[in-house]
Amino acid sequence: MSEGRPADFEGYWRDALDELACFPPSVETEAIPLRSNDSSSLFGLRFTSSGPYRLFAYLGIPTGEGPFPAIYKAPGYSSVVSPIPQGAASQIRSRYVTFSIAARGLRNADKPYAAEFPGLLTDGIEDPRAYRFRGIAADCVRGLEILRSRPEVDGSRVSVQGGDLALITAALADGATHLVCGPSLFYRTMEMARSGDGYPLAEITDYLRQRPGAAEAVESTLSHFDLRWFAPRVSASTLLEAGPAGSALDRSGLQSLIDALPNPPDVYESQRSNYKDGMFVETWVSDKLGCGEPILPEHWR
Amino acid sequence: MSRPTMEQYVSKVAKPQDFDEFWGGVLEQAARVPLNPETRYSALRSDPGVEVYEVFYDSIDDVRIAGWYCAPRERSGKLPAILTLPGYQGEPGIPKEWARKGYAALSVAPRGKLRSNAQFNPGYPGLLTHNITDRNTYSYRGFYVDAWRGIDYLLTRDEVDGERIGVTGGSQGGGLTVTTSAMRQEVRAAIAGAPYLCGYVDSIELTRTYPYEEINDYLRLHPGSREAVVETLAYFDGINFADKIRCPFVIYIGLQDNVCPPETGYALFRAVGSADKKLYAADGHGHDAGKHSIEAELDAFFDTHLKGATV
Repeated sequence: MSEGRPADFEGYWRDALDELACFPPSVETEAIPLRSNDSSSLFGLRFTSSGPYRLFAYLGIPTGEGPFPAIYKAPGYSSVVSPIPQGAASQIRSRYVTFSIAARGLRNADKPYAAEFPGLLTDGIEDPRAYRFRGIAADCVRGLEILRSRPEVDGSRVSVQGGDLALITAALADGATHLVCGPSLFYRTMEMARSGDGYPLAEITDYLRQRPGAAEAVESTLSHFDLRWFAPRVSASTLLEAGPAGSALDRSGLQSLIDALPNPPDVYESQRSNYKDGMFVETWVSDKLGCGEPILPEHWR
Repeated sequence: MSRPTMEQYVSKVAKPQDFDEFWGGVLEQAARVPLNPETRYSALRSDPGVEVYEVFYDSIDDVRIAGWYCAPRERSGKLPAILTLPGYQGEPGIPKEWARKGYAALSVAPRGKLRSNAQFNPGYPGLLTHNITDRNTYSYRGFYVDAWRGIDYLLTRDEVDGERIGVTGGSQGGGLTVTTSAMRQEVRAAIAGAPYLCGYVDSIELTRTYPYEEINDYLRLHPGSREAVVETLAYFDGINFADKIRCPFVIYIGLQDNVCPPETGYALFRAVGSADKKLYAADGHGHDAGKHSIEAELDAFFDTHLKGATV
């Protein structure tokens, strides 16, 4: 099962976390009246991660007596970070503390480094220690630390959600009680890139077409990010969002990740419908966090 | 809302008396701006089947616009072309898949997108309400023109057949497809998925999700601006452009779309001026609008209208 796991995997990430610990978060908090209302308040946070690098996050706090369950949104492969995901019912901010982080390079955290799309996935990819996602993973850990430090947060109900970085965060940081993860980038990455032609994984094949001699180094770097090697560290109750049946990342395609998680996850195969997929996730999260009925957008009710 | 009620939904948007005059003025302004196209071959992104280029051109307000242009390496004669337009949050992709289908393809990054934000960068959230009380400086005034000028770029390419240009996009790209098809008669066929920017004021009542929620946020903080906001948005509403569309036109929507209310899709469809128009309404689908299940039909639509007319 551990075939392909780098021998220095533990040391690599221990060093990354040790480096992060050298920098105090030094959080600045600023209210955002434009996006606040009677039922919730929104804040913009600025804080420091490894490097040092100054980051940004949106923090939403429900009105009323806490503590509240929390939803931590890990960054996806996009420059834009929103207070809550596009299409989510804005009323969820009245139930959950919401936290969405702009890791280094993303909008609001793009000075001095601005990530390129396409481009980010191969930035520094020939050296595991220079690979941009090493810092981004540290950013995600720092974000969860900050969220958990908030007195409004019920530490027994912290749901980390997103793509690959959600699982990496739940593995590297303390305190994720629930995890919703849709793997796409860092699961058997070289194999997936070679078998497909779509972006963002095509960034890797583009890169190797230009630098065929770098294949071994690229594979070595990516092996430090494979979700299978993080999975044994995940203690959160987990929902894996698999691709549609028959796709490379369907339930059977994810089997080695499923097997690597210490607690059997719930696995949902996409129905190729944002509505059906979204309904399932919202219902799962609401149920698992003990919140009862999910808060759904108007056209899903 | 039941499906029959959705189908009959009547948009609240009114067309301003001076709508054509306003946009005529914008087009005159745009006509005075030379395109200054620049096309740089990207060895990194090109592959054995597709040539990829980074593209830049000028738009109004001194904004330099970026894009990705792709063409199949193997070709004989002029190519049909596709202009692809981006969603609200995502970055425009490299349109290799269109080149693999035999089209020249341009993917445009209107102002504020990553590679077109040197002179204009209102952010996300933010773009939707930037200068929303003034139609002459509202963000989408230039943003629309940036998309329309993608047609001008395609017309500069020797390998492109200017008589066979199609436009497509989903969400914001769907809304831009509406306005581009309306304002550029060079467009011979168009497909708009889950169109955004159509029925703005309807949408902020029909749904409470972002991005439309940006407008509700704005109005909560600036309640006295509501009249000015509604007035501005009427000039930018795709429904008010739609009667100008003359080309074959397809719209696909999801009946459980939580981002762009399907009611507005129906209202848009009724407003489209083309006699050759078709609506796919997918039950059980959200903002994906059921595209996966009709991809073959959509490809056939462009093949019929853009490849069937081979000279």
